[in-house]
Amino acid sequence: MKHILPILLLLLSLPASIVADEPSREQLDFFESKIRPVLIEHCYSCHSAEAQSKGKLKGGLLLDTKQGWELGGDTGPSIVPNAPAAGSLMLALSYEHDVQMPPAGKLPDEIIKNFERWIQEGAVDPRIDNKPMPDNKPKLDPNQAKEFWAFQAPKETVAPPSKYEASTKIDSFVLSQLEAQKLTPAPLAEPRVLIRRLYLDLIGLPPSVDQVNEFVNDPSEEHYLTIVEKLLASPAYGERWARLWLDVMRYAEDQAHIVGDDKSLTYPNAYLYRDWVIQALNNDISYSDFIRLQLAADLIEGENSPNLAALGFIGLGPKYYDRNQLFVMAEEWEDRVDVVGRGLLGLTIACGRCHDHKYDPISTQDYYGLAGVFASTQMYNKPLFTPDNSEQDKTSGPSYEQTAKETAKPKKETKPNGEAKNPVEAMHIVREDKPRDLNVFVRGDVNHKGELVPRRFLTVLTSESSPFREGSGRRELADAIADPSNPLTARVIVNRVWGAYFGKGLVGTPSNFGTLGERPTHPELLDDLAARFVKAGSSLKWLQREIVHSRTYRQSSIGSQDSLAADPNNQWLARMPRRRLSAESWRDSLLSASGQLNSDTVGGPSIDPADTQQTKRTVYSRISRLELHRFLAMHDFPDPNVTAEKRAETITPLQKLFVMNSPFMLSQSQSFVEKLRREIPDDAQSSDALRINLAYQWLYSRSPTTTEVDLAVQYLKNGDRTARWISYVHALLASNEMLYVD
Amino acid sequence: MNWNPISRRQWLQSAGMGFGVVGLAGLLAQAHADEQSGAQGAAQLAGGLHFAPKAKRVIFLFMNGGPSHVDTFDPKPALKKYEGDKPTKDAQKRAKAGYVPSPFRFQPHGNSGVVMSELFPCLAKCADDLCVIRSMHTDVPNHEPGLIIMHSGVQQPTRPSIGSWVNYGLGTENENLPGYVVLGPRRPVVGPHLWSNSFLPGSYQGMAVNTQDMKVDKLVANLNHPSFSRVEQREQLDLLGRLNQLHLEQRQNDSALEAQMKAMELAFSMQAEAADAFDISKESAATLAMYGDTLFGRQCLLARRLSERGVRFVTSYYLTPGGNQPWDTHSNNDEQHQKLCADSDRATAALLTDLKQRGLLQDTLVIWSGEFGRTPYAQPNDKGKHGRDHHHTAFTTLLAGGGIKGGLTYGATDEFGMEAIQNRVHVHDLHATVLHLLGIDHEKLTYRYSGRDFRLTDIHGEIVREIIV
Repeated sequence: MKHILPILLLLLSLPASIVADEPSREQLDFFESKIRPVLIEHCYSCHSAEAQSKGKLKGGLLLDTKQGWELGGDTGPSIVPNAPAAGSLMLALSYEHDVQMPPAGKLPDEIIKNFERWIQEGAVDPRIDNKPMPDNKPKLDPNQAKEFWAFQAPKETVAPPSKYEASTKIDSFVLSQLEAQKLTPAPLAEPRVLIRRLYLDLIGLPPSVDQVNEFVNDPSEEHYLTIVEKLLASPAYGERWARLWLDVMRYAEDQAHIVGDDKSLTYPNAYLYRDWVIQALNNDISYSDFIRLQLAADLIEGENSPNLAALGFIGLGPKYYDRNQLFVMAEEWEDRVDVVGRGLLGLTIACGRCHDHKYDPISTQDYYGLAGVFASTQMYNKPLFTPDNSEQDKTSGPSYEQTAKETAKPKKETKPNGEAKNPVEAMHIVREDKPRDLNVFVRGDVNHKGELVPRRFLTVLTSESSPFREGSGRRELADAIADPSNPLTARVIVNRVWGAYFGKGLVGTPSNFGTLGERPTHPELLDDLAARFVKAGSSLKWLQREIVHSRTYRQSSIGSQDSLAADPNNQWLARMPRRRLSAESWRDSLLSASGQLNSDTVGGPSIDPADTQQTKRTVYSRISRLELHRFLAMHDFPDPNVTAEKRAETITPLQKLFVMNSPFMLSQSQSFVEKLRREIPDDAQSSDALRINLAYQWLYSRSPTTTEVDLAVQYLKNGDRTARWISYVHALLASNEMLYVD
Repeated sequence: MNWNPISRRQWLQSAGMGFGVVGLAGLLAQAHADEQSGAQGAAQLAGGLHFAPKAKRVIFLFMNGGPSHVDTFDPKPALKKYEGDKPTKDAQKRAKAGYVPSPFRFQPHGNSGVVMSELFPCLAKCADDLCVIRSMHTDVPNHEPGLIIMHSGVQQPTRPSIGSWVNYGLGTENENLPGYVVLGPRRPVVGPHLWSNSFLPGSYQGMAVNTQDMKVDKLVANLNHPSFSRVEQREQLDLLGRLNQLHLEQRQNDSALEAQMKAMELAFSMQAEAADAFDISKESAATLAMYGDTLFGRQCLLARRLSERGVRFVTSYYLTPGGNQPWDTHSNNDEQHQKLCADSDRATAALLTDLKQRGLLQDTLVIWSGEFGRTPYAQPNDKGKHGRDHHHTAFTTLLAGGGIKGGLTYGATDEFGMEAIQNRVHVHDLHATVLHLLGIDHEKLTYRYSGRDFRLTDIHGEIVREIIV
């Protein structure tokens, strides 16, 4: 308001001369002597075409042409002729507000007065640029953008014909492509290869010798299907597949930094969420509900929902240092938007924090519409005890007593806001905060507020843009993502699961289905599978079945020479890819081989995976943002500070030092030898030969070749017998055959 | 080695083998060599990633907590004249006490006349090798964001560290050693994120080495087999090699399997090389004495051993077993600085002298800095003598070697040391300059992640050309 009076006064006092079309010589001289040099010296480095060409343009504002300041920058027109107080330029020069220019220091009053006079007299500026102004803010036409493949609803397709025989609909798509590419599919894998593959894929553990023999003796279709069902029904299935999800949702139990000994931001009971995921997968709840509960269990099922732990999806997100500051919260909201955007929708929505997405139809308004949901949501340490101490809280899965055993002194104290004082006595979830809409932060700068944006879903994924109405809008957001008509949700999860089997998704960028992401190698297959997945009640076990029943999955990893030469990356799947085991499956296989694996206990507090005394599965490893466990970090476990698109695969000497020298490997070798000895006593005449054979059965599900036996016998004949056996077994455990699945 | 013909992009993103041995420069050189089928690749590598490098490696001496610039390299006589006066402007609200002068005498040294306080008698002898940037500034006066931005260019723990970027760009010079090693007797504030590869491949992560016990097997985990001799282990690996070879032959010579075998051999070589590199007991008594028999002294000596063997980036954190930010002198500032500087002065000077004697200083960039400086005004203390608080709008960073003009004092602060006013150098500018010295264009070293190309310097960074030879 305070600017209105000066403007009025100026309008009243306009000198007649400035109304004339032609600027006077005096006016031009004034510009040349008093204004242009100042602009060049103090403004051009950030506000000129040259700065723009170097990517150094600030605030979207050009001051090297008349058109530049007429168009203005992010905050609107910078100069309004005859009205110095109306544009943003004088405001910035005055150094009285947030935006202070030039940044190096306030200009002398005399210069500022010159600018005021220049603008007041009509801002005569001869710097006319005849080139068309570069369009700073290209807007994507939303209707046109919707035509991009990923925004079209996936549809079922009639299976294309092929000269090769298909087992399932998946095969029809793959085989017809192979035919088109003039490639021959590999033969079916041998039963003993297939069964090891199937076990490792479905439950993350290798089959026992008996389980292998059982299938080798009866490799019928019917038997195969029975085994698939048995594995899908095993609790180990959830333990294996939970990790896929935990990578995506950046599961961790602490923060990337710690201030002194302050543990208030850590998540000691994060495992309640991890165990919820394992259970949900084992129960095969629909993927829609899986998402809905993780975003809004409290709003869907109420305060006493048995699924509150699911809210760890947001509730275990990173908390940054100095949380009461707006710029810090802006970072946290970005994390939440990013995990939803890339994790669930395969869209890099977080780009919209600073500018409209350059390639996808996602605007800053879209970003702040979503960020507002999380600004209206509170991270909440829900007490695992009932504060009045009358009764244990039965709503949260494991009882309070069980959880608090770890606590030296359970205090059962709450803060005034109802949170548990000590995170050790809490479940880490979210709850509603006061609903609030956010202003756009222009160029991501929290001090530079733009328009207010109502909380809402992405424009490109909604037919009509309607703001969320209930509280934070979390439930509406969850519903919009889980909606069967959402074109991305099903595709994204189907693609992630596919990638876990075939080493690479049908879309090679599993968290980016946008313009800069890769296009699907088999678009009809992806769409058909996604559409049928939704029709099957978005059952993940249905999806697993579809894949492992296929001939594509059951083929050999030994491909024809043609296919190796013509398609080295195996994008057309003329053979099954040979895959390296994940850190989890590899460690679990070692423990299983040595007989040390404790596979009976499902769930519970986290463990140290390299501790020789810890025999639980690797999925139960403590995951730290502060210091990721060395074993995990060296084996390509993703950084849990952000949502992980997929795992990298590096091969490093540090991994091998662990294999060669770690107490963990030595301990497994030792246990394995003891197990061998129990099975085949030392006094037997041919104990070595029997043991070598058994070791191969246990580890690789096959008999050794004569060459392999010879090598073993040669190696075992020198030195101390026990030490030699341990060393031999160590080599078997360290082998590529142990590390890869054919 | 026979690689499957995968695309260069995949190559870069999976980072192939080793400790990120190859790096972008190596890969580009390799690709170039493949195309030219000649030895030009190597020449291109020598020419740096984007242009000829002046430095090949970096040693960052990190003074955790933030040294006081007005007590070390930025003399401010006005603090005496106006002692007790409170600062004006923004700092007014924060200052609980007035200006307080440094008790230490300042003097010019060397031919160049670089000025430093009496706390640096050893470094004074290296004055002509030093570039003292007095006009550093950063964004916030808090340790966490200050440390994170100094290491990764943003305030939040979401980006790769500078050492990871450098190794991603250049690879290491020695495939038997990691390319990025960080030394300290405990975790600094923030911790491992400071040497995180973040979204870069895992092989570019800094290898953290706890220096409390300098015995080699304590420094590097799993470096040696607990009972095997080298001969016994060789025999075991030969067996393993044979078994893997048989496995490989039945699998169409899959290049990934072959790479695993190569890595195993690399690890075996590394055991010997690392055992030597990490063993400072192999140094002469005179050298050990020159660095000083202190934690930081030993770390600096180890840093030199690693650097000269081709470790691309070494950070030596000034920490003590009892404290993760010793330079954070909120009380007893003067006495604390006396003690800390004595140690840091000797070790830093020894490192520069040693590098110079070995002909390494010319292509090794040494950085000495904290995450920020300390207030020119006092922080009152009930129990002890006054301290100085965190100060981000002006502080001093030292650079030496690797293409840096020696004997130069660059930039200036106002008369109290409150604000950097002349030739201001932001942390982003420092990063841009460090990359430039290494032959890397900070605007071109990018990594595509989450739908866009990221840089160490984000959208900032101006190279400080005036300090480069």
